[in-house]
Amino acid sequence: MLQLSNVSKNFSGLKALSDATFDVKEGQIKGLIGPNGAGKTTAFNLITGVFPPSRGTITFVDKEITQQKPEEITRLGISRTFQQPHLFKSLTVLENVMLGRHYRTRAEFLACGFRLRQARREEKQIYEQSLEYLNMLGLAEKRERLANKLPLGEQRFLEVARALATEPKLLLLDEPTAGLNDQETDGFKNIIFKIRDLGVTLLVIEHHMRFIMEVCDEIAVLNFGVKIAEGTPKEIQNHPNVIEAYLGTEEKIA
Amino acid sequence: MYLFSFPICIDGQIMGPVFKDKNKAAWLLVTVGVLILPFIVGKGFYLNTMNFIALYSMVTVGLCLLVGYGGQLSISHSAFFAIGGYATAILCLRFKLHPIVTILMSQFVSAIVAWGIGAVVLRLKGHYLAIATLSFTIIVEVLIKEMTWLTGGLQGLSSIPPISLGGFKIDSDYRFYLLAWPLMMLMLLFSLNLVDSRMGRIFRAIKEDEDIARLFGADIKKYKIKLFIVSSVYASLAGSLYAHFVTFISPVAGSIMFAIDIILVLAFGGFTLLWGAMIGAASLTFLNEYLTVFADYKRAIYGLALVVIILFFPNGLLLGLKDFGSYFLRLMVKGTRYASTEQRV
Repeated sequence: MLQLSNVSKNFSGLKALSDATFDVKEGQIKGLIGPNGAGKTTAFNLITGVFPPSRGTITFVDKEITQQKPEEITRLGISRTFQQPHLFKSLTVLENVMLGRHYRTRAEFLACGFRLRQARREEKQIYEQSLEYLNMLGLAEKRERLANKLPLGEQRFLEVARALATEPKLLLLDEPTAGLNDQETDGFKNIIFKIRDLGVTLLVIEHHMRFIMEVCDEIAVLNFGVKIAEGTPKEIQNHPNVIEAYLGTEEKIA
Repeated sequence: MYLFSFPICIDGQIMGPVFKDKNKAAWLLVTVGVLILPFIVGKGFYLNTMNFIALYSMVTVGLCLLVGYGGQLSISHSAFFAIGGYATAILCLRFKLHPIVTILMSQFVSAIVAWGIGAVVLRLKGHYLAIATLSFTIIVEVLIKEMTWLTGGLQGLSSIPPISLGGFKIDSDYRFYLLAWPLMMLMLLFSLNLVDSRMGRIFRAIKEDEDIARLFGADIKKYKIKLFIVSSVYASLAGSLYAHFVTFISPVAGSIMFAIDIILVLAFGGFTLLWGAMIGAASLTFLNEYLTVFADYKRAIYGLALVVIILFFPNGLLLGLKDFGSYFLRLMVKGTRYASTEQRV
């Protein structure tokens, strides 16, 4: 579904990602792990078009998206969340999700201002669908609050709801469990399975090892911008390169 | 107000407070109030001032859409006010066209100018955008003053015919009031609807963070230009009506001072509230009129009053009064509670 081939990204000399090749198959939950600074978030930014890669190509559902703009990539069906939740602070919880429906609706300026039938019908649809997403993530009760008044865990849920509202084919989650407690992390696990059952493919960046091993079908490991391993959770756990990257090698003491 | 934020049951499911209706109810109330006002105050100073308030409110509500909701600070609304006024005056005087036709045509002219200018300057952000739009205002002002063959130069254009509807001339304060205020209220309703729709939400998102807004499929560049056009047409329509109401237009209409005055009104009424834009226009116009007793020192005292008000209500008058009101209310509730405990003791 998503294919990165030999993708590199240099930031003025710093090789954030070099020759990374991996793919995400339709319907799977793919993990992307690696120590800090391994290039995981850079990979996300490349996929969503925040900046173009220095080399290599990215294709999504048989279409090259390497040089596409973020808004075009969203319209193709890729949505994401952020390490630090980037919610719209002045909008309420509900409005944040309703915003996710933006490009799935088409009432223009005049239709919106004059409340023509098209706009009214769409607005009602947006409202109902957004409420459904909020219900799914258990935030419906808090829909009238301002988004930044939520605790961190709920802000992350809200980001997922907002991303889901764009009806993505592929959802990218950037460290969804960072800063969450065990209970919230377990909650997130269920949500991830629910999202997969909706038919959405997932690519998850995570540091929380137990979480990623339980959730993912397949994992790719990056270290210093280079892919060092790829496979099922079990293979990854026993892969020598991964153990080396995370724990270091044994040194012989003379 | 509680009445309108009460949960409504649809399909047996609680839909939550329909927050939109609060605005609509207020709108209805104000519209009725505004329409019966002339029959209470009668002819004279107040009616005349109210007419100007309607025109200024159109400009400030338009600017509020752009600045308060779109986050694009533009100091060009006096220029569009002047373009609207001059365009309709020139078309009317030179080509002897019907005022209503020329008003519509001049909106079209303004929209095209706004499109051209917007496409160029809206690439800029923040202070740079403000400076670019300010330059545009300066250019327009100079052009109006210098192109004497077209605009009458410093003398301006006079004896512009009033608007007429099939022989019915809108030439008195009363008649103009009943044209301008309903139109103004409709424009306010349009804005209220707009900010509470998919378009309004994306603009509020753009104001906060363009890069994230793009991730939701918004074509930022196009949207900003469209909003700029709508906002400028608000100002230009007010300018056209002004020209036909006063039957005279001079370069003062397009001056930088006027552009800055409009921004002050927004700062005063609150940038993020359409209602604030209207109430700011009303209160500052009256303040300005009452300060005439100070003659030459008028501007200085006007400025001082603004500084004081903005110091005390940094979020604008309306939000400030609301906060103050709720603070006062809390104080009162607390006070009665203390009083009752005292009684018990």
